[in-house]
Amino acid sequence: MTAVTDRSAPPGTSTTPGGAGRRIAARFAPYGFVAPGVLLTAVLLYLPFLYTLYIGFTNYDGLHPSQFVGVDNFVQFAKDPALLTSVRNTLLWVVGATVVPVVLGLLVAVLSHGLRHATWYRIPFLLPYALSGAGLAVIWGFILQHGGAANQVLTALHIPGGDTSFLQHGPANTIAMIIAITWQQLGVNALLFMVGLQSIPVSPLEAARLDGANAWQLFRNVTWPLLRPLTTVVVGLSLVASLKTFDIVWVTTQGGPGRSSETLAVTMYRDAFVTGDYGQGAAVAVALTVVTGLVSFVYLKRQLRTVT
Amino acid sequence: MRIGGVIRRAVLIVLGAIWLVPVYLLLVNAFRPGADYTGDHVWTPSATFGLFDNFAKAWDNADLGPSIGSTVLYSVVSPAVGVVVGALAAYAIVVLRLRHGFAWFLAVYGGTIFPTQMLLIPLFLGYSDTNLYDNRFGMVLIYTTISVPLAAFVMRNFFTGVAYEVFEAARIDGASVFTAFWRIYLPLSVPALAAVFILDFTFVWNDLMFGLTLSQDQSVRPIQTALSALNSAYAGTSVPTVLAAGLIVSLPTVALFLATQRLFARGLTLGQY
Repeated sequence: MTAVTDRSAPPGTSTTPGGAGRRIAARFAPYGFVAPGVLLTAVLLYLPFLYTLYIGFTNYDGLHPSQFVGVDNFVQFAKDPALLTSVRNTLLWVVGATVVPVVLGLLVAVLSHGLRHATWYRIPFLLPYALSGAGLAVIWGFILQHGGAANQVLTALHIPGGDTSFLQHGPANTIAMIIAITWQQLGVNALLFMVGLQSIPVSPLEAARLDGANAWQLFRNVTWPLLRPLTTVVVGLSLVASLKTFDIVWVTTQGGPGRSSETLAVTMYRDAFVTGDYGQGAAVAVALTVVTGLVSFVYLKRQLRTVT
Repeated sequence: MRIGGVIRRAVLIVLGAIWLVPVYLLLVNAFRPGADYTGDHVWTPSATFGLFDNFAKAWDNADLGPSIGSTVLYSVVSPAVGVVVGALAAYAIVVLRLRHGFAWFLAVYGGTIFPTQMLLIPLFLGYSDTNLYDNRFGMVLIYTTISVPLAAFVMRNFFTGVAYEVFEAARIDGASVFTAFWRIYLPLSVPALAAVFILDFTFVWNDLMFGLTLSQDQSVRPIQTALSALNSAYAGTSVPTVLAAGLIVSLPTVALFLATQRLFARGLTLGQY
């Protein structure tokens, strides 16, 4: 039966009456099957992508005929203080929302690994994960608002900061929202590390323990190197997600006050749909795409080199 | 090891308690009657139960009801269709051995590698020109498309693991190419399909950006967009009402995630790299 793997003559076709018709159908069927997916992605993903690329180099505003303006929209990155703030905030997000949740997630995973009832210890961390960005913003906006829960508890405990407006000034408002994301993301990172820890073979750990290694040495020299491929994935996921931060900022502060908490994704949305400057918005989107691509590429390349 | 275990538990319990504080604050203040809320004493629970009342207010003030209906439609129909479309493509590539299959696969899968910001402006302009803007079908269409690439990826892996003899046997028994897909390959892959469906469901349910960009009407816009509007200094909306809305909007995905953690974790590491 191995001879019938030829695509043009599926088994049984040539013996049935009307075989030619079926043969043609079978020949073109694969294209028909792949077509819906290709059509949808081509029309709704690739075409818009190319169009954004194009209008990033124009001054299109939806009202007037657009003119080609070269790299003018990109030059704004060096001139417009709001854009510079946006770039700075995005960097803060990338560093803060990657490092802290990944380190704390690893800590929770390692601490709970092998404990009895480990699932129960992890529940508090997992609860926030599936919250939407808007839901997260509603909760943390409420906690962080001036005179809100955070201020009240600081005042009650006589800790400085009881009168601080966490959301009123940059970059403090960005840092406050990074804390909110840390609260949300820790759990899923812990979960991913947990799965990784369970797949680590016991024998190297046993051998190292017999050699007299203490808990820290075990982690540093055995567990950590074995977790390395997973760490690459977890960090990579966080990097890409934090570069595109939008929901929590939009719902908590709308990028304000005075554009002080905008990220590139928020700036893109604001330029395009609040100001109506599609050209500038598209340029920010293009810049964001280039940066995301570069970061992923450089990071993955470095990681792959150190692993192999 | 005994002492180590105690310390580990202690650290986890303290950290876990800190992690529960925002949940506590959310619950306490979503349960507080709107009229009792002054902004002070947010840490102490109210003696009166006001959750249902708050939710009723959210339902009326922000038209959460129709919005939830639409969101259920988007987050169930789109991932379901998207998963089947992705599976069809994977079937053509792997089982039907489409010529240049890998290139076709890259074409479908590559659709998700760039940020969604690259799509918003043309989608908004195109939707406005074609009456898809502020239209339930338009929303289903974009959410479906977003669901296709991951499905194609996962199903390609899955079908590669199915013996080709399954296909040959089906064909010998007279099954058409489509029947083999619909009756044999699709049922075989239900667990994989379910994993993708759950991830996509969560994505669509939690989406804010497409809703914000492509819809406006209270009955068309998805729930996160409605919540966002309710949160932004909506006249006459008390804080407990907003929190109650946030709570109820969040329940489906939080419950789904807690129930399917492991599937989720696997799906996450699968899809992105």
